[in-house]
Amino acid sequence: MARTSDSDRRKRGDEGGTGLNRREFFKAGAAAGVGAAALAAPAAMVAPTPAAAAEGWDYEVDVVIAGGGCAGITAAIRARDLGASVLVVDQNYDLGGRMLHSGSYLSLGGGDSVQKRDMAGEADAEGFITVPPAEEPAELDDSIDLLFTDVTDWSIVDRKGQSPYRYNERDMMRAWAENCPPTRDFLLANYVRMTRISGTHGGGGLSRARAPYCFLMLGDVTDIEAGTITPEDAGVADPERTSAMAPVQMEDATAFVGPGAVRNGVALSRPLEYAARKKGVQFILHRRFTDVIREEQVGGRAIGIKAVYSPRIHPESGQRLESLWQNGNVDDRRPEIRIRARKAVIMASGGHAGNPEMRGMFYPAMREPAFPTSGMALQGPGGQDASALIAGLKVGAGLSGMQQNLSYPTCYHIGTRLGTRDAYTDMYPGHPTFVFRGSTGIAVGNAGFEEFIAVNQVGKRFFDEVKLPRRPGGNRYPGDGGAPGQGLEHKPLDWRNCSAAWIKQMYNYDHGLDAAIAMNEGSKAPNYYCGSLWAIFDEDAVERTGWELRFPFVNWSNGYAFRADTVEELARSIFAGHPFARVPLSHLAQTVDTWNGYVDAGADPEFERHNSGPMHKIVRPPFYALSIMVIWHDSYGGLHVNGRNQVVDVHGQVIPGLYAGGEAVGGFNKHGLGKGHVHGFIAGTHAAREIG
Amino acid sequence: MKRPLTAALAATMVLYATGCAIAADGEALYAQHCAVCHTVDGAGFPPNIPALAGSQGLEDPFTLVANTHAGGAYMPPFPTLGAEEIAAIASYVRGAWGNGLSPVTTEEVAALMEEVADPDAPELRSIWDGVYTREQAARGQQMARAACGLCHGSRMNGVPDDNDMRPGPPLARAYFLRVWDGRTLGSFFTYSKWTMPQANPGFLPDEDYAAIVAYALSLTGAPAGSTPLPTSARELGYIMIGPKP
Repeated sequence: MARTSDSDRRKRGDEGGTGLNRREFFKAGAAAGVGAAALAAPAAMVAPTPAAAAEGWDYEVDVVIAGGGCAGITAAIRARDLGASVLVVDQNYDLGGRMLHSGSYLSLGGGDSVQKRDMAGEADAEGFITVPPAEEPAELDDSIDLLFTDVTDWSIVDRKGQSPYRYNERDMMRAWAENCPPTRDFLLANYVRMTRISGTHGGGGLSRARAPYCFLMLGDVTDIEAGTITPEDAGVADPERTSAMAPVQMEDATAFVGPGAVRNGVALSRPLEYAARKKGVQFILHRRFTDVIREEQVGGRAIGIKAVYSPRIHPESGQRLESLWQNGNVDDRRPEIRIRARKAVIMASGGHAGNPEMRGMFYPAMREPAFPTSGMALQGPGGQDASALIAGLKVGAGLSGMQQNLSYPTCYHIGTRLGTRDAYTDMYPGHPTFVFRGSTGIAVGNAGFEEFIAVNQVGKRFFDEVKLPRRPGGNRYPGDGGAPGQGLEHKPLDWRNCSAAWIKQMYNYDHGLDAAIAMNEGSKAPNYYCGSLWAIFDEDAVERTGWELRFPFVNWSNGYAFRADTVEELARSIFAGHPFARVPLSHLAQTVDTWNGYVDAGADPEFERHNSGPMHKIVRPPFYALSIMVIWHDSYGGLHVNGRNQVVDVHGQVIPGLYAGGEAVGGFNKHGLGKGHVHGFIAGTHAAREIG
Repeated sequence: MKRPLTAALAATMVLYATGCAIAADGEALYAQHCAVCHTVDGAGFPPNIPALAGSQGLEDPFTLVANTHAGGAYMPPFPTLGAEEIAAIASYVRGAWGNGLSPVTTEEVAALMEEVADPDAPELRSIWDGVYTREQAARGQQMARAACGLCHGSRMNGVPDDNDMRPGPPLARAYFLRVWDGRTLGSFFTYSKWTMPQANPGFLPDEDYAAIVAYALSLTGAPAGSTPLPTSARELGYIMIGPKP
């Protein structure tokens, strides 16, 4: 799909008229294929005025948005709906960010229209939903005040004994709660279909049920407006293959919609992208946002951004990857461009989970670069690179919630998918970025950890393997297992919710992750990296478990899976072939011998593994090593914004014309999508209304 | 008893043979048979599964023995427990967690058991006796994908379909047989129905929960038969889980 066009060779500021000529525009539209917005609204002007060009701007629009994920695309459509011209830059080759690989569990609430629909027992407007509501009406009876109280409740704790809500920014949370119902309607109006509500997603409050999934119906054609997707596009036609449209295979949604429904982030991201392109939002992909430009370095309005070319090149073909749909794309390959924003800049380029140095600000052990963020292959090295945080710091932005990363079980955790660095998702061949992971990995769940020993970079065990992957549970009211919890009287803002007695009763964190990233014999100054982690097992384990050690699950040449006839040889091959190996696994052979002795004796004096599950000897060649990953997924610390999602500086003053949303923003401990979409909706609304 | 002696029950019997004190037996038996729902600390999962710590329902031994032996409105029966074992459990829960109630004797329990015995009680069976139908398992597969697959995986192997979710335990095959060995489908069904899915326990009809259990059995390798699994905890309480004979 690589195209060369006139725009490639366009010199800075030498072109009048539109940034996208008619010929190119229609070519892009035609290339979009079935289901794409073949007849988009006329694209808005993105070329600079002569005056702006004279000042060195390459493009000029009303609103420029850094990042095309859940916050960015929502903001783009919203600002476009209000009449602004909008240009989105994204570092990746395609849109959607991590929304595209998400589960689409979209927790809003406050009495939103899907809550009301399910309360009334009604179907969706198109009549796809044929199953009864999954929640009782009382559990859906929500209000903005209750939602606001829930997400700022000082008293709620999680099973790590930490409080997710008490540190949330109050002004931002009030605005978030107030904008949940209109955001729900906005998404529904942009081709997003929502299932029955079932429960609430982490960080979305505990008192009511607030989260449906997003779905499409399997059909003969992929047609976003009609709400259908082919099994091939949904990635469900072949168990070991996915598609360019769906990096992660879509999941069955029968129980929440009816037969034939599938759900995940594809049913959210692609409809929004479709709507944005149809409405004339323009995109520059392969373009990494680096700087906000203010009138002065730390003074005056935000008037634009700087962004650098960040092409995603297929390592084998040498071709640049191209987005699934292309209408509205502006192809610009200059090393650096400057985009003037007449009204506002919105930073929606994600968090810092993929930036080891920034992670180290929260947990020094997590400076270890061997450990990725989720969506590593999908997003590439520019994903979650802290670009908004860094750009904000350079122009004087304040920060919020910097300690909140330490309080949610999916912020960082041990992945239970072995043998791939990209251990968060199960992307298969068929998606253009599969090549960057090389294998899908073997997903073994927590239970699989009783089948092997886990060793560190020098080949030593460090924890009870059975407990190693366990994550603490989420936020809870006393005495109940799930949210919202039928029939229990929950009292928000009540001291009993965090009494020491209740915490002692429900605390369940094993600290396996912390043992995994602790220093060991191979850690060296100045960062004392812990190094990589390995699951070590033998052929008997393969027979016991039925693990299919073959492509696409395991790839013996991608540096994350090894096998050998002796344990010594296994240790050598890891040291020789793993990209993050720094020291030899000199203890591995002794560790396996010692372990086999423990199995014979029926007792593991080091970690008391015998109390947790069965122990198996490691004796029968070939011997195997699969990587175990720590994945830092979420970002809860970030830029300080007010209730309009305007960035606030270190003196408490709004930076005029500068907005931020989603994971770029701190002070909102909410996992998943609900934060990004509402932030995008708020930021898009106010950005479009700026006088400029 | 037709079923093979399971490891867990054998262990229990060893405890008796070595003459442990009644209170200790009660604690072990409670952990084996009761704690899956009422939890080791007696907290349960209220309001769906009541707490036993501080429960007034324990005051009358009749209720305790009747529920345990013959099953209650929602509770499965425990037909493999004899008077001595029920007395040990009853004594344990009446005394534990500061409940402060006196022990119950084996004779007392035996008399009550006779009183509440269910004349229509089904025969004790095992999951290996062809206790579900293929159609039921197919229905269960369809329902489990969305409702259970999120955390337990649509193959029920403990590998979440949804990458955001914390992995749940496997609900089939060797791990399932090991963890549920010596318990009944009644306990498995009751626990699942009243605590799962975590975000919204009990939202499916009983028929669907039973179908999901059938699906788990099919994955485990238990043979299908000609009659479907019953859909009540009381009847499911007469089907034992254990290793393949």
